[in-house]
Amino acid sequence: MRRRALLPAVLSLLLLAALGLHLFLGRDAPPVTEALTALSRGEAGSYDQSVVLFQRLPRALIAIYAGAMTAAAGCVLQGLVRNPLASPSTLGINSGATLAVIAGVFLLDLGLEAQGFAALVGAVGGFLASLAVTRLAGRNNDPRGLSLILSGALVSMLLVGTTNALMLSDPMRRADFLSWVSGNVNHVYIDRLYAFWWIGVLCLLILGALSRALTLILLGSEKAASAGVNVRPVSTLALAAAVVGAGSAVAICGPIGFIGLVVPHLVRPFAGANVALALPCCLLLGAGISLLADFGAREAFHPYVLHTGLVMDLLGGLAFAMIVKRFYLSPAVRDQA
Amino acid sequence: MSSLTLSNLTASYGQTPVLMRVSAEFSPGRLTVLAGPNGCGKSTLLKAIMGFLPKMHGDIILDGQPIGQIGRRRLARRIAYLPQESFCPDYMTLGELVELAGYSRYALVGGPSDRDRQLFRKALETVGLADKAHLQVNTLSGGQRQRAWIAMVLAQDTDIILMDEPVNHLDVKYQYAVLGLVRALVRQHGKTVIMVLHDLNLAATFADDIVLMNAGHILATGPVSATITSENIARVFDLDADIFPHDGRLVCLPRLAPSASASA
Repeated sequence: MRRRALLPAVLSLLLLAALGLHLFLGRDAPPVTEALTALSRGEAGSYDQSVVLFQRLPRALIAIYAGAMTAAAGCVLQGLVRNPLASPSTLGINSGATLAVIAGVFLLDLGLEAQGFAALVGAVGGFLASLAVTRLAGRNNDPRGLSLILSGALVSMLLVGTTNALMLSDPMRRADFLSWVSGNVNHVYIDRLYAFWWIGVLCLLILGALSRALTLILLGSEKAASAGVNVRPVSTLALAAAVVGAGSAVAICGPIGFIGLVVPHLVRPFAGANVALALPCCLLLGAGISLLADFGAREAFHPYVLHTGLVMDLLGGLAFAMIVKRFYLSPAVRDQA
Repeated sequence: MSSLTLSNLTASYGQTPVLMRVSAEFSPGRLTVLAGPNGCGKSTLLKAIMGFLPKMHGDIILDGQPIGQIGRRRLARRIAYLPQESFCPDYMTLGELVELAGYSRYALVGGPSDRDRQLFRKALETVGLADKAHLQVNTLSGGQRQRAWIAMVLAQDTDIILMDEPVNHLDVKYQYAVLGLVRALVRQHGKTVIMVLHDLNLAATFADDIVLMNAGHILATGPVSATITSENIARVFDLDADIFPHDGRLVCLPRLAPSASASA
């Protein structure tokens, strides 16, 4: 128990280390003294200082936000829909938000703020569409929730396809959004972070306040209700906060997969099932991994910079296969079924 | 001590009626067993009290107040419920599980008080798991796990406890240990316990009162010694059984049916 309580501190150190790596190291890194001067003064007196202040720092902040929000959303979603494969990228949330932003820009000429709002609406829409398809498929005789994940995949395919069709329709604008749509941490999106960060903070506050009730819901809705939880309103509010929080991350830097799916699995063996502890740990680890992935994307093929989203998708595919193997294909599980 | 009264309770799952005009009064400070054949509505009766049924008519009164008017949080301080099947997520420790029981007493921020912690420790001591609080629930043995859930119910610190087949998956030794523990709670702490139990011999040994149900009706109710009779058992279970006292308690021994109707 005492070891578990130390976990957030350990993960905070990890996050700080990742942040230091991201800001101060790598090829073409400005001298550390220059970087520190820029950060402490908050203004750039030289080219090196402006690189730190206007490229590396914004990039780091975006990576932290996107990683933290998707990991937190994945943690809550996996608990509430009782499915180890649930995450913003597997339940139509990311693709819904992406389509909404692209449709808003290409068809309605939405401005920045309106794009953010569209992303939130799209995230909720994509999630509800996945649930609706599951309902159609009949999930009563599906104890392990495979149909929910398959529905999410189908809905995502439809939404991504529609997004691509829209992108193809307008070559002029396509160039502006080509990198955003594949999930790209980039300092040019910092104005989006300034516009939307409060949404994530609000969602996290809501989830934090509900964390004890969410832990009880893991025991089953009747057990939770008998212990004093109003299961329906709590579940609805928590799902909304998770989906909207994940949508706000998409609004900033496009859909980033992997983290929402995998981080909760990494955290759970150490933090346990208690949401009040697992949630902050997911936040910290999600932000840290996101920073490291972005660092890797920036440095791996120097001087070319990879899309962070692509790096994540590569890692995510591997992790997805491992989770499927563990929860669905391992001999012990098959014997149960 | 709280009193719980049901009057004219009717409930159904979809089109199938499961409780029909059920009326009962549960005496405070006593252990009442609900018994009857499979599907007779025993578990449904507990769920009805907890407010888990979508369609329901009739009144459930807790200390003069209709139970539907009591909010979930307040109700959780009065009644605790142990479902038939309990599920614990991986990696959750026994200590964490028991601590969750205090949810209805916690403020939005801030956790258990000193009194709560003392309560948790006592609950674990009562079920004999005080040294296991740091272990994961899913690594405990079946008997220990069931006692863990009972500890959680105790830690909720309510006057009334509803239990749905609390000894279902336990071997005979733990059946007696767990039920003995529940009876001690009733005797020493004045708890009111309402429990679904399949085994009439266990009911006869541990219960004060018994409610015999069949097809959504209550057929007989009263103190164990007066209610478990050959005649009542025949009516409720459609079974011939010898009922006789042995060593100060009733024994219910079904007669062997003629081989022709053995499968009926």
